[in-house]
Amino acid sequence: MCVGVPMQIVEINYPSGIVEAKGVKRGIGLQLLPEDQVKIGDHVIVHVGFAIEKVDKKQADEIWETLDEILRVMDEEEKDARGFNSAGHD
Amino acid sequence: MDKVKGIIKLIHSLVPDNKNIRIMNVCGSHEHTIAFSGMRSLMPENLEIIPGPGCPVCVCPESDIINAINLSKREDVILVTYGDMLRVPTQKGSIRTEGKNFRMITSPFEAINIAKSNTDRKIIFFSIGFETTTAPTAGILEMGVPENLFILSSHRLTPTIMEILVKDAEIGIDGFIAPGHVSAIVGTNAWNVFSEKYGIPTVVAGFEAGNLLLGILEILRQLKNGKAETSNVYKGVVKPEGNMQAQKLMDKYFEVANVNWRGIGYIPGSGLELREKYSWKDARIVFELEEVKETKIPGCICGTIVLGKAYPSACKLFRKACTPKTPKGPCMVSMEGSCNIWYKTL
Repeated sequence: MCVGVPMQIVEINYPSGIVEAKGVKRGIGLQLLPEDQVKIGDHVIVHVGFAIEKVDKKQADEIWETLDEILRVMDEEEKDARGFNSAGHD
Repeated sequence: MDKVKGIIKLIHSLVPDNKNIRIMNVCGSHEHTIAFSGMRSLMPENLEIIPGPGCPVCVCPESDIINAINLSKREDVILVTYGDMLRVPTQKGSIRTEGKNFRMITSPFEAINIAKSNTDRKIIFFSIGFETTTAPTAGILEMGVPENLFILSSHRLTPTIMEILVKDAEIGIDGFIAPGHVSAIVGTNAWNVFSEKYGIPTVVAGFEAGNLLLGILEILRQLKNGKAETSNVYKGVVKPEGNMQAQKLMDKYFEVANVNWRGIGYIPGSGLELREKYSWKDARIVFELEEVKETKIPGCICGTIVLGKAYPSACKLFRKACTPKTPKGPCMVSMEGSCNIWYKTL
């Protein structure tokens, strides 16, 4: 829930935007950052669909090193939970 | 690698032989890195790195979860919340086992989309977490949400609970590793109280093992020199003032409230509720929710673990009756929970 993911802004339609990381694109909210402080190419930390802060490229790469490990664990948990997700709860 | 070895060597040189030093982290992702990297085994024996209250799911009151379960049983309601919340056990079961109309979301935007696609239903967003999830909820409120979307706020404030911990002599904290992304929101200035008022070195660190080690080293340097400062080794992300736009939006929609922390109790000024001005969006008011008395889970010491007074391995249920597949207490549910993390790494 609180895992922040560094992603790069590829499109801006403030207060929304599209970011990309590892070939995956995602629509996010830019509302938490001032409009004049975000531009295409910036890296941002994304938390539950919102950019919460800008991050430099070097730091973004370091965070990804840790995230790869965390995401591996999350994938395992998702597989465990898949039985529930396919149950069709409203 | 040489750099890491060098930091570890320095850490050993700075820990005095005749004193136990206790450094607390207050972030589930920090604890994850510390546990998975095996960092504790490389530390001097008398240096403890204690996991603190870094797991929002773990402290979410049982009463709120039971209310969420009951709301999901209404035919006119769809309850939406983050995945971890669905599995948290209560005296009445979990949302997953006892709820009826509920959906998992990974972003508040999904709550908006669900509301737009179900205009004949009331969508209740059970919004939990620390500052990193509060700000996005404030973000959707600022962007405008559909009329049929309501907020059940169970947000908690990190600096407030940390101050409670500092005042508890039983815990005995010598230094804090402050949470990286909460700090991105609140800024390093939010931690000055610990260094200035309580004399506790507090260092904002990122999530990579080397960066966390740097944070630990900085705390030890300060202790060695008899100093207490707020430092930041995660400067690529965190500013002294934090994210002021996020703070402004949080303040616009939320106000500080006296709230319950599961297994810990009521803490004045430690949570956030929607401001009265937005009470028509507040599920507690709109659906007239009443507090359900919290029950104790037999044998579970999650509340004690969250406070840093015990390690998961001290719990009699740990790895026996309580596992990630059969969680008895909230600390075993979330990947940010200490019990869940320790289960996977011990």
